Amino acid sequence: MAKESLTEQIALTEVVAQEAPKKTSGVGLWLTQNGVFLFLVVLAVFAAFFVNGFGSLDNVTNILNRAVPLGIVAVGMTFVVISGNYLDLSVVAQVATSGVIFLAVGSEYGLGVAALAATGAAILYGLVNGLAVGLFKANAVIVTLATTYIGLGLLRYFSGGSIFFGPPDGPMDVFGSGKVGPVPYSAFVFLGLTLVLSLVLTRTNFGFLVKSFGVNERATRLGGVNTDMVIVGAFLVTALAAMIAGFVFAAFSNTAVSTMAQGFDFKALGAIIIGGTSVFGGRGSVLRTLLGVIFVSVLDNVLTLLGFTFGFQQLALGVLILLAVTLDVLSRKLGQQ
Amino acid sequence: MTPSASSSTGPVIEAHSIVKKFGGAIAVDDVSIEVYPGEIHAVVGENGAGKSTLMRVLAGVHQQDSGSVIVDGVKLEGGAKESIDLGVSLVHQELSLVPEMTVAENILLGSAPTTLGFTNFSEMKNIARSALEEIGVSVDLDERISRLSVALRQFVEIARAVARKPKVLILDEPTATLTPAETDYLLEMLQRLAGRGMAIVYISHRIPEVFRICHNVTILRDGKRVSVTAVAESTPEGVVDQMVGRELKKDLGSHRDATPSDVVLKAEGIRAPSVDDVDLEVRAGEIVGLGGLVGAGRTEIVRAIIGADARKSGRVTITVDGKTRIISSYQSAIRAGVGYIPEERRVDGLALTMTVAENINLPNRKELSTAGFQQTKKIRTFAQRLAEQVGLRPPEIKREAGQYSGGNQQKIVIAKWLGRRPAVMVLDEPTRGVDVGAKAEIHRLIKELADQGTAVLIVSSDLPELLELSDTIHVVRDGKIQGSIGHQDATEKAVMSLASGEKLVGA
Amino acid sequence: MTQTMELGNLQKPGLGPKLKAFVRRRTEGRAVILLAVISLVVVFYEPLVFTAYPVTLGRIALIGLVALGLTAVILMGELDLSVASTLAASGVIVAVIPDLRIAIPVALLTGIAVGIVNAFFVAIVGIASFIATLGMLFGLSGLAFVLSGEVPVNLQNQDAGILFSQPVLGPLTPRILLFLLVFIALQLFVTRMKAGREFFAVGGNRQAAYDSGIPVKRRIFTGFIISGFVSALAGVIYTLTLTTASPDAGSNVLLSSFAAAIIGGNYLKGGKGSIVGTLLGATALGMLQTTFLMSGIQVPVQNTLIGAILLLAVITDPTSLRALIEKLRSALSKRAKVAPS
Repeated sequence: MAKESLTEQIALTEVVAQEAPKKTSGVGLWLTQNGVFLFLVVLAVFAAFFVNGFGSLDNVTNILNRAVPLGIVAVGMTFVVISGNYLDLSVVAQVATSGVIFLAVGSEYGLGVAALAATGAAILYGLVNGLAVGLFKANAVIVTLATTYIGLGLLRYFSGGSIFFGPPDGPMDVFGSGKVGPVPYSAFVFLGLTLVLSLVLTRTNFGFLVKSFGVNERATRLGGVNTDMVIVGAFLVTALAAMIAGFVFAAFSNTAVSTMAQGFDFKALGAIIIGGTSVFGGRGSVLRTLLGVIFVSVLDNVLTLLGFTFGFQQLALGVLILLAVTLDVLSRKLGQQ
Repeated sequence: MTPSASSSTGPVIEAHSIVKKFGGAIAVDDVSIEVYPGEIHAVVGENGAGKSTLMRVLAGVHQQDSGSVIVDGVKLEGGAKESIDLGVSLVHQELSLVPEMTVAENILLGSAPTTLGFTNFSEMKNIARSALEEIGVSVDLDERISRLSVALRQFVEIARAVARKPKVLILDEPTATLTPAETDYLLEMLQRLAGRGMAIVYISHRIPEVFRICHNVTILRDGKRVSVTAVAESTPEGVVDQMVGRELKKDLGSHRDATPSDVVLKAEGIRAPSVDDVDLEVRAGEIVGLGGLVGAGRTEIVRAIIGADARKSGRVTITVDGKTRIISSYQSAIRAGVGYIPEERRVDGLALTMTVAENINLPNRKELSTAGFQQTKKIRTFAQRLAEQVGLRPPEIKREAGQYSGGNQQKIVIAKWLGRRPAVMVLDEPTRGVDVGAKAEIHRLIKELADQGTAVLIVSSDLPELLELSDTIHVVRDGKIQGSIGHQDATEKAVMSLASGEKLVGA
Repeated sequence: MTQTMELGNLQKPGLGPKLKAFVRRRTEGRAVILLAVISLVVVFYEPLVFTAYPVTLGRIALIGLVALGLTAVILMGELDLSVASTLAASGVIVAVIPDLRIAIPVALLTGIAVGIVNAFFVAIVGIASFIATLGMLFGLSGLAFVLSGEVPVNLQNQDAGILFSQPVLGPLTPRILLFLLVFIALQLFVTRMKAGREFFAVGGNRQAAYDSGIPVKRRIFTGFIISGFVSALAGVIYTLTLTTASPDAGSNVLLSSFAAAIIGGNYLKGGKGSIVGTLLGATALGMLQTTFLMSGIQVPVQNTLIGAILLLAVITDPTSLRALIEKLRSALSKRAKVAPS
């Protein structure tokens, strides 16, 4: 009853679309999708010439040390974004939980036990978030907002809100301060994880389904896919990455506290979007996120070196997110033409 | 009541030579219509004959490409708002009510009376009440729409149109969701409104209704007006003939000789929303067609059978190689060997921004991967082979599905399932919006599939297609199978008669 | 031919059925239940919450104000994440501008401007509201830090702040009065005014709203402006009450305001909910927090519990439950895979 006029229209417009299929192209489209490349190059060149201390090896190490924990979170969260579920706010709690577990449990019972406990916590986070969003069809922003507070509350309660220090020259400290040239060990972990997750997204059935779900949920379900489990999987990947980020972050400073990852949620999302992954889901890549993370970190660094404070960095990030999303919307419109 | 057009004055609405195109395709082709005050004028035609489009032009929702609409001597130019102001009210086919607002608020949606920005609730209720009184329905004005039955919502929708004090009331299939008693009531109401001088344009698939209340009938076919006659001077048979009336089936292939064997798909006692106790069997190598009008419940039947929508009761089994499986969910149906080509291919069938290869990979991913890792080369050759098999043009599997035309998109959807050698293939409107060439190819594919032993269940509103393909046709009306016709006895007229509830042929 | 048709759904006369019909129409069921449970527990466990009601009321006003503004946006099926940093930014503005007569209007105008920018990105550019307001969340938080120099700023006019915390009407402080005023204004707007009623149409059936000539974009602008203005007002009140402004003020605002609105029965997809529901949700949360406060329950535990309540509220949404029940049913019937044929 309700469909006749609609299908009539679709039917008719389709008859028109009989000409050979078009390939969309154009400079505008390329720019809107890959603008971050240009920005990054321009920024780096500018900084190398005009910003004092930007090119020094110490500064490169510094940028990397800051970029790595954020980046690990971001590459994981890319899965949630591509699945069309916006973001996982609870990474803030997840990173801190993992960091505190590694230092608190690790110094008592050894790293192996700590790793087990942290993995367990990560799986719990992934399951609760994933089931609430997948099975209960609840809004991901609100669900992960709730789990952030549940998680942080529990963490603060059990940790008493105190700062945990690792033993100096313990295995965590050794890893955290170790470098190859100017490149900290943790950067290799980041790179490795990025490659692995990139492989998962582009080469495995799971990654394929995450993307397919983001493009068209209904067609994916009608392809015989248990889509709830795809969502749970996406949140699990995010949680496990956040766990690793917690380890790396705690190792770097050899300290951990429940507030350590504040701001990671939005900053990671910022990096993902600026990298060019679509916030509407379905389009994006882990490697793009890597690029976005580098861009955000370099920008932060340049602003810091130029004497701009934290507030300006936040401001810049906010503007960049709006810009990136506006470009995303534009590129969709261009792509449709 | 004997229909008699009161034509002492001139027509209240007249449309001259309306042409409406969507892109390059013509939906309404040089159609004229005029309706007088007090007249109930029926517009009938098959699915897709252009009825709804014509009505939208009359109501100013669509802008015609040529021709003119004149209401009470004033030429219509300014879109929906102006039409309403001039006294043309359209009761939409789809319900356009706001679920969490009250009956009174919905009747005056967007035009509630106010004092200083505050809604004047008592005046609003007065207007709403008088509109409801005019159509003779009493509903609690403070009740929320979400708590009303579908029938009541339909009446509220009509009250909204009536509240605008229209001179012309256009109703698009208002009885599709109503019970016989409610339908009776609605028809009497329309006669009452016409008796007061309102002009009513009434679209319906149901011929008996037309003969009960209408004075004149305009018959559309393929966007053109076939005839306009006084109802008193025509017969139901004559109207159905003119609605169907294809001269020759020259663009059609021939029916194949089927050799059905064992029952593969068996559905018993299926009940679901819009599905009323349906039993169905499809044998290996057999093509079973579901005919009927849009909204009769055919799509709902097939979706309930394969578990894509929840069903209230009923049992579905699929038997392959002597092994019987119960189908309880969509996923279990897919595992048992069902392939499903949904009605809305752009929404349900394809991921438009993914490539052809990716779309084909979706249902076949398990076979095309090792330990969860995609075998890129395997996927490529598999997709390439299928793309060529279904005649995708050009067969470029790295192109996005959205870049292909409708016919080619449908071939991609078919290719998705073809590679699985499905035991049961369910196709819902497989050639809607597809050009003639692609249509013939899709028909060939469906026949080949059946010849290879697949049990095929097909829903189609395209009568010649249904007749060409089906070995058995079940005709659906009101969610029920009204009758079944074997291939030898199947004619367009036989199907249409059963579908529209006009028992012209003993079937 | 003037008979009328009885199609059921007619309201029967009498008080009983009338009451029943009233209850069926409300969306605040969960909030009422939660409030009743909390009240019962509190009566026995910590009756101080009732006897020290000025404190409790203050809490409710604190939690509820932003939630009220947010409800206007949620009714249209949109989200406004920027409320948290709108509050922080306007709070800082009030503290850094010495003359309150200038500071307060500037702060409130900032809120309105934020609403306009949000609505521009949502209604004109066409960005999902969650992401557009996320950008604002960042940008404004940055602004708050920049303006304050990244440290808490003391209110210049301390007397005004102290005065602001004194009861003016019975036990009611200006903070509570302003909260009640906003509640009444929004309640009237949403239930009595044409524009406010149309929020439900924009959220419930946007196409129908367009078709009936409702200016959908203008309504979206109105909603975001309300939300921005109310959060800015909350920021002003915050600073005046505390006599100091911190750039990271309102870090818990997102949680508590969304929790209040969602517990209050406001449906995130829009078109369903009420301002009264948000008030009930805020009252329940406020009483809970006061109980925590008085019985010395630690802040982390409080947050955990409120987070859990929010999670519970969002997954016990009727649509969520329906989805789950359907899943369970098909999962259970999957057991019998092979039929005894």
